[in-house]
Amino acid sequence: MTRPTGAAPQGAAPRSPGAPLLGPLAALARACLLLVAVSAVVFAATSLLPGDAAELRATPGATPDQVRELREELGQEGPPWRLYADWAAGMLRGDPGTSLVNGRPVLDAVLQRLPATATLVGASLALAAPAMLLLGGWAGAARRGRGTATALLTGGAAVPVAVTASGLAALLSGVLGLVPAVSLLPPGEPPVRHPELLVLPVLSMALPTALFGGGLLAGAVADAASRPHVADARRRGRPLWAIAAVDVLPFLLAPFLRVLAVSAGGLIAAATVVETLFGYPGLGSLLVSSIASRDVPVIQAVAVSAAAVVLAGTALADAVAGGTDPRRRPW
Amino acid sequence: MRRRSLLAALCAATLAASGCSGGGDAPAGADPATTLRYAAVGAPAATTNDPHGRVGNEADYLRFAMLYDVLTVLDEQGVVQPRLAESWEPEDGDLTHWHVTLRRDAVFSDGAPVTADDVLFSLRRIQGKGAENNGRLSMFDLEASSARGDHELELVTRQPYAEVGAALASLTFVVPDGADDITEPVPGSGPFVLEEADDTTAVLTRNGDWWGPEGGADRLEITAMPDPAARAAAVASGQADVAGSVAPATAEQYAGGGEVEVVTRPGGVNYPLVMDLETEPFDDPAVREAVKLALDREALVDTVFLGYGEPGADLVAPSEPFAPSAEPIGRDLDRARELLEEAGHGDGVSLTLHATNSYPGMEEAAVLVSEQLAEAGIEARVEVGPPDTYWTEVWNVEPFYLNSLGGNGFVDFSRMALLADGPINETGWNDEEWDADFHTALATPDEGERHALLGDLQQRLADDGGYVVWGLGDGIDLTAPGVSGLPTGPGFHRLRIEQVEVSG
Repeated sequence: MTRPTGAAPQGAAPRSPGAPLLGPLAALARACLLLVAVSAVVFAATSLLPGDAAELRATPGATPDQVRELREELGQEGPPWRLYADWAAGMLRGDPGTSLVNGRPVLDAVLQRLPATATLVGASLALAAPAMLLLGGWAGAARRGRGTATALLTGGAAVPVAVTASGLAALLSGVLGLVPAVSLLPPGEPPVRHPELLVLPVLSMALPTALFGGGLLAGAVADAASRPHVADARRRGRPLWAIAAVDVLPFLLAPFLRVLAVSAGGLIAAATVVETLFGYPGLGSLLVSSIASRDVPVIQAVAVSAAAVVLAGTALADAVAGGTDPRRRPW
Repeated sequence: MRRRSLLAALCAATLAASGCSGGGDAPAGADPATTLRYAAVGAPAATTNDPHGRVGNEADYLRFAMLYDVLTVLDEQGVVQPRLAESWEPEDGDLTHWHVTLRRDAVFSDGAPVTADDVLFSLRRIQGKGAENNGRLSMFDLEASSARGDHELELVTRQPYAEVGAALASLTFVVPDGADDITEPVPGSGPFVLEEADDTTAVLTRNGDWWGPEGGADRLEITAMPDPAARAAAVASGQADVAGSVAPATAEQYAGGGEVEVVTRPGGVNYPLVMDLETEPFDDPAVREAVKLALDREALVDTVFLGYGEPGADLVAPSEPFAPSAEPIGRDLDRARELLEEAGHGDGVSLTLHATNSYPGMEEAAVLVSEQLAEAGIEARVEVGPPDTYWTEVWNVEPFYLNSLGGNGFVDFSRMALLADGPINETGWNDEEWDADFHTALATPDEGERHALLGDLQQRLADDGGYVVWGLGDGIDLTAPGVSGLPTGPGFHRLRIEQVEVSG
């Protein structure tokens, strides 16, 4: 904290850590802008899909007039930019609108399914986080982050989630009969009351995440391990676990948090596949079927909340990492 | 807490391993209430509470059929039976004014009696949503129709219409008068009442005030599951008692003994080839006949339905009581080539056959059809489209594709797809004489005479029309041990699960 604050030009986002108030504000503004951009891209992408909700809802024999009436009834008549503006205005009021398929509030649908997906993503992160540290440590220690270990991790992470999930289901449910092959939640019950239903979806999501994170961390581990104080500790005969915990781990905190934030985004994407495969009633399966029915308000709400989670996670990771980077501490 | 969840996981693992039913049962110590857990076809996000508009999920139809009374139903043989309507009689000689009497003991779940006003309101609401429900009830002039007291009404048809009983069957869900905007559940008068529901699962409990016979499960849990393999797995692992509509391959997996039982509904699946009579080369009857003769229908049924079905005789509604008893069309490659030659296609025909992959076996059917046609000199390139655009971009647009038929009776189907001005006349079937005979049939009061006429109309369509009904697959459901009485009749008969028994 010895640098002067300096006079940043107006409107510029000061990147120096010396602007304690403007930093978080700028980050917030950046996150908001990104959210707006995400919502616009999602909106544009859904309008590019063939057909709209009215066309898909009308039976094939319906006349063009009937379809237009239906579109009016759904509030979908008008140029795309108008529809987007209406939607954005609603969002600012905290109202994501009503579903075009069943006329019910989008907020209800999202809130009803949020706990299920949060449980899935949370449990997967909890499982994947220690695993990626261990894997990263192992791969980083071996051949300084390059070589077969890292290649194995990267290759493993590249296996599509659907393949991992089907494989796990075939093994754990089909061959061993340990857990149910589908994850039907009884209505109105929180998923934590049925841990046996979480096993397959969580493993299917956590496994690739751990491999991916381990691969990313391997480089940071190798970097930290090559620092002089590690070599010094080694020479003094400090046990390996102590070197890992005391001399290497603090250097991993910042990259680890960033990897976790990115992983959270990946997990949300993986949830769409996993939830659909296992019949698990979360936001991911909601998103998939809403795309099929062109239910734009629901697609928007799910996509924007997913983006918000990732952006919040990244911002949080940045903040924490900035505050804990041992390189900025006087040794 | 931690110990409890560990225990739960262990329990579940043991139960799953031993094939017993796990969670979801009535809590221990309660009275021995029985619950039927039904995994039905449906995408949870498409779940709707409105029984009259666009209903994309069978899970929703199942729920509506249990929550609401309908006016009439079809029995296992496809014959109309009374339900909320006790009788329907023509008031005059020309079959345009019908006197309908409702049963007097039906009440909505809020205690109000079901009256003629409620019925008329519901019928008008259904007709008003014609754009979303294939023009249901368009045969009625509901503005001219009126209530006659609390339990009687007069229905007016636009033309003489002897099949009013069938027109009121299955999907005439009655809601309270004035229920315009049905985004949330409204009171019904059916065998069950709604206890709780989210977009995936609905829990229904038996309606003690229902007028109908007792029997069947006390509770229903209806879960919408899009994936057929997941539905089957739910029954196999004890998470559901019934899996609706699974693929033949799945059925074969469970058919060889074991606890899961395979229940078939004859004629439930039908993927006819659709030929547009207004497009070359199908405008030539010889070409159509060549296509019909080029198919090896036995092989198609064996490959696509794995034997769960019958070869077809090109009848679009063979399960009707009046359907002609026609033999399946045999393969005759020589005659097919001869016909093509006569039609000027001696050096072959090139076509594109469209299909979509959201129905079990449809893609396989298209591929095999194309191989069989090739042997007769018809080159049909298969194009498989995504399910969400198939019904807007291929159906009723392309001249040659696979459709999925079923659920509609012959009269309804004819009004929509076969009359020259039918709203979804996808084959371009335009035969003035046929249309006239159709109207004559509907104006014939005597059932025997009328059925003979309707049977003849079906046969003429089979001989000259654009539908190649090469086979009829069974609808296949799976049941867990202890489930009995699952309906197996034609069309929407399968929704009538109020009498299905399940042993605790």
